[in-house]
Amino acid sequence: MTRALLPESDLFPKPLEQPLHHRSQATPLDYTVHLKGVTKVYPQTKFGLVDVNLRLKQGSFLFVTGPSGAGKTTLMKLIYGAERPDHGEVLVAGTNVGVLRGNRLSHLRRQLGVVFQDYKLIPRWTITENIAFVLKSQGIPRDEIERRLRPTLKLVGLQKRADCFPSQLSGGEQQRASIARAIVGSPKLLLADEPTGNLDQENALQVLSILKKLNNLGITVVITTHDMHLIQVAQAPVARIYNGRLHMVNADKTA
Amino acid sequence: MFKLWLTQLGYLGQETLRGLRRGGWMNWAAISTVTVLLFLFGISLQTSWQVSGLLNQMGSRLEISLYLESGVSGQVLRPTIEEYPEVTTVQVVPKEQAWKELLQDLGQTDIDGATEDLGQNPLVDELKVSVGSAALVPSLAEKLARVPGIEEVTYLDEALRNLIQINQGFSQLSIVVIGLLTLTAIAVITTTIRLIVISRQQEIEVMQLVGATRLWIYMPFILQGITFGIVGALVSWGFLSGTRRFIQHLLTEQPNFLQVVSDGIRLSTGQVILLPLILVGFGSLVGLVGSLFAVQRFALK
Ligand SMILES: Nc1ncnc2c1ncn2[C@@H]1O[C@H](COP(=O)(O)OP(=O)(O)OP(=O)(O)O)[C@@H](O)[C@H]1O
Ligand SMILES: [Mg+2]
Repeated sequence: MTRALLPESDLFPKPLEQPLHHRSQATPLDYTVHLKGVTKVYPQTKFGLVDVNLRLKQGSFLFVTGPSGAGKTTLMKLIYGAERPDHGEVLVAGTNVGVLRGNRLSHLRRQLGVVFQDYKLIPRWTITENIAFVLKSQGIPRDEIERRLRPTLKLVGLQKRADCFPSQLSGGEQQRASIARAIVGSPKLLLADEPTGNLDQENALQVLSILKKLNNLGITVVITTHDMHLIQVAQAPVARIYNGRLHMVNADKTA
Repeated sequence: MFKLWLTQLGYLGQETLRGLRRGGWMNWAAISTVTVLLFLFGISLQTSWQVSGLLNQMGSRLEISLYLESGVSGQVLRPTIEEYPEVTTVQVVPKEQAWKELLQDLGQTDIDGATEDLGQNPLVDELKVSVGSAALVPSLAEKLARVPGIEEVTYLDEALRNLIQINQGFSQLSIVVIGLLTLTAIAVITTTIRLIVISRQQEIEVMQLVGATRLWIYMPFILQGITFGIVGALVSWGFLSGTRRFIQHLLTEQPNFLQVVSDGIRLSTGQVILLPLILVGFGSLVGLVGSLFAVQRFALK
């Protein structure tokens, strides 16, 4: 059933592979994620994650689940540096994200792809502009951007919506646009916050297969989800956040 | 590396244009404030050049005449006068020479006869003191009047003195006005750009999240501010050249006396080239400062 939904292999954008390979030569560091005793409490709501420990090897695939308000998005924010831990360390590729600022944080974020729960597409830009922006800000030439854009759009099935504005797209299409933006820069670590939240089951499985495919290329993938069906299909390690603590659900399978 | 820079510059230019398009009428508010500022600045700069041109034309009058007490020798006093730093040269006119010239002016040819008639040469030695700058003349004259052995000090005619005074008053006033206008222009640019930054806050947040550097995010705003300055400079330069032509045209149709003035206020080639450069420089600086103020609060977060 999943197989039928997998995109054809030639659909996968070739350009994604090359820079990935390229970069791993330039920076031999493994793109691991390592949370050491991380505690984060929001003073306004007193909500907090407590003593979270998590270790992901390069190339792993992890689901993070938990009830609404459990702190899944907060965990993601800690990893991409939008929140800083009160205690403990968040290490991404060996770098302590919690103390990064300014351009060093920007450069780290370029190595990550983030699918935001609320998409964060820029309303005044077309889908193409929204996606191309990531590459533009890295100074990648226009023809190269063109070359990467088309297969990425095709991968998420949005080639016909390329010149639409986000408001002209359905929720699911916006979600796929935000996935396209997250992967167009060939990240080494992909953080997907409820990437299938607005999709029907068929589309959700298609997104899963895209993420699996990226994972097979060596990209570390972290997905938060409520969708138990998805977790069952994916056969991947699952972590659960409950009462501010993170536990591995099927510890035997985690690395 | 070079190619990367070029690509990035292209993108930055595009973003700047996008920002300008989005600014709408606020752009014009900013540009017209800068234009007014630079127009007044240009006028006062041009006027001060023209006045010093006029003064140079009357350069020979930038001179103080010292009439010595009788019996005091010009040659003896000369080194004392030369010690004043404002003084550039001192020329001695011995009374004999002055006498001769005077008599010649009067049409007398028999100099010895005339001297005999009067018993002796009634004149005194004179020192002609040249001064570096017209502005220094009055104060120097006062100081020289106190030097022993000097009977009388005269300098410049009244008109020239008034001209210098007006010029000084004018430049003080224009410094104040230009200072205030500079602050206004900076404030208007800051407000304009800050409004655009705020309206794009959401975009900026996303840009930060996908790894755009601060320079990348804020550069277009700064370029936009500089653009305001440069456009304002070009427009005001157009106005300035226009008014200058017009006035010169008026003056050439006037009687002789004013034609002399018209020559005096003509700018040198160097000044004609320098004026737009100074305007563009000053304009860009105002734009840069204005836009830096606009983004600093956000950029330093
Ligand atoms: N910036 C903030 N300031 C204060 N409290 C916050 C902030 N962000 C989140 N919280 C609180 O932290 C808790 C966890 O939020 P978070 O967004 O991480 O949940 P979640 O697991 O992603 O939930 P959902 O499944 O609904 O997306 C919530 O109770 C929320 O109210
Ligand atoms: Mg969430």
